[in-house]
Amino acid sequence: MLSSGKRRLFSALLHVQKRPCQPSRAMRLVQFQTPHLEEPHLGLESGIGGGVVDLNTFDPTLPKTMLQFLEQGETTLSVARRALATQLPVLPRSQVTFLAPVTRPDKVVCVGMNYADHCKEQNVRVPKEPIIFSKFSSSIVGPYDEIILPPESEEVDWEVELAVIIGKKGKHIKATDAMAHVAGFTVAHDVSARDWQMRRNGKQWLLGKTFDTFCPLGPALVTRDSITDPHNLKICCRVNGEVVQSSSTNQMLFKTEELIAWVSQFVTFYPGDIILTGTPPGVGVFRKPPVFLKKGDEVQCEIEEIGVIVNKVV
Amino acid sequence: MLSSGKRRLFSALLHVQKRPCQPSRAMRLVQFQTPHLEEPHLGLESGIGGGVVDLNTFDPTLPKTMLQFLEQGETTLSVARRALATQLPVLPRSQVTFLAPVTRPDKVVCVGMNYADHCKEQNVRVPKEPIIFSKFSSSIVGPYDEIILPPESEEVDWEVELAVIIGKKGKHIKATDAMAHVAGFTVAHDVSARDWQMRRNGKQWLLGKTFDTFCPLGPALVTRDSITDPHNLKICCRVNGEVVQSSSTNQMLFKTEELIAWVSQ
Repeated sequence: MLSSGKRRLFSALLHVQKRPCQPSRAMRLVQFQTPHLEEPHLGLESGIGGGVVDLNTFDPTLPKTMLQFLEQGETTLSVARRALATQLPVLPRSQVTFLAPVTRPDKVVCVGMNYADHCKEQNVRVPKEPIIFSKFSSSIVGPYDEIILPPESEEVDWEVELAVIIGKKGKHIKATDAMAHVAGFTVAHDVSARDWQMRRNGKQWLLGKTFDTFCPLGPALVTRDSITDPHNLKICCRVNGEVVQSSSTNQMLFKTEELIAWVSQFVTFYPGDIILTGTPPGVGVFRKPPVFLKKGDEVQCEIEEIGVIVNKVV
Repeated sequence: MLSSGKRRLFSALLHVQKRPCQPSRAMRLVQFQTPHLEEPHLGLESGIGGGVVDLNTFDPTLPKTMLQFLEQGETTLSVARRALATQLPVLPRSQVTFLAPVTRPDKVVCVGMNYADHCKEQNVRVPKEPIIFSKFSSSIVGPYDEIILPPESEEVDWEVELAVIIGKKGKHIKATDAMAHVAGFTVAHDVSARDWQMRRNGKQWLLGKTFDTFCPLGPALVTRDSITDPHNLKICCRVNGEVVQSSSTNQMLFKTEELIAWVSQ
């Protein structure tokens, strides 16, 4: 019979053996600015709502953009891992301006009609294949930046989405290999001008989707290993504190792996590429009567384990 | 009465006064590679079909990508102008691999149904507003690169197009100011997979238009000042030597200035 001490040790060893070695903290990569910095730096967010550790101070050989960081794969990732395991000075959140976790990606791929209930609320059949469209990189803004209502539209609507960020180049990627190409996840707001999307521009969605400021992203790129299961996260959107969308990413019709496999048939994915994976029901345009964003509104898009982005409409 | 010599001088002076000072040669900017270079360089093409002058050799402080070159505006443009006016070694065309004149732009904006006869051939009404769609930058290839037929499509089609390259940042640009935002022009081939464009993907055109290699560009970025009139150029496409498209850019429904004003809203 083992003594209670040995039993506890034995149990602890079993416990460690059962689970693969996991970092005690999630890796939450950010791009940020402070008044003292000449240019944006890369950082680690210390947990949801936490302060920021300056990665470029920790290791001055690191690049200063997320795009270059991702392009260097394991080389840069291992530096970030070391930083995560080290006690480092943390800049208070109030002193930091968060940029979008990725800026100037080669492409922002968007998926339409990817939640069963979102199809239902607009009375359309569930698509057999993903519907793919895009936003220009110039529409990207940070997690706390303003959404600018364009004078050209009367019908600007909200859409919270899980965004996937590619970490490894690939073409014709098999769904079973797809996750290895994912750097991580972030929250996206697929702001949409419904008049332009649905009735103008020959019904090609681009213009309605790609106005400047129509793609807030953030607050951090939470790495793939830091998320328990990207397809089982609560996802919600609040306008002026009122919940307008509330669902789970388990409702996605085509999941991350299938989307990567699908799109990579057509195009090569590069590190930094972003995929907005669709929105759950509750958007404004299909309400009776339709509801749209107006000046002064505040939209919060939140995804479990990733965080919240807050954008004021001006 | 002026002597014949003085008359010729006088006439030459008048001639110079009548026309604004124009470079004797067009400025044709390229991105290129050679086996000896570690990375792509910027260059000047010596006329249509000519060899290439290495701009980075001429001035090692110049950036090596067209994107950075354009971002620096007049600073870099004036260096190129000096190079154009200088006798410089020219690399034979056979030794040079031309890349697309611009790679990794923020956006590739495309305009549909912009020639009256093109609308007619598909039996659609001429649009009141430009139809705007896009290709991913990842679809861009060089002027002599291969177009790869994707296994996923049976209906890949050709489309020759005049491409405008932006040189100056802007939003809400007025049509009357638009040309000042243009760096220059190049030839584009808007390769299109019609099955995907017209029948698949919920009729959103992106996938059919953005397969890898579906955007050959080149051979050079010919600067705005070097083109007499971008809206009066012959434009044509040949497949295996046979002419399949032949028109003029004067047939464009919405011209460069209107397109820039429209999209910059």
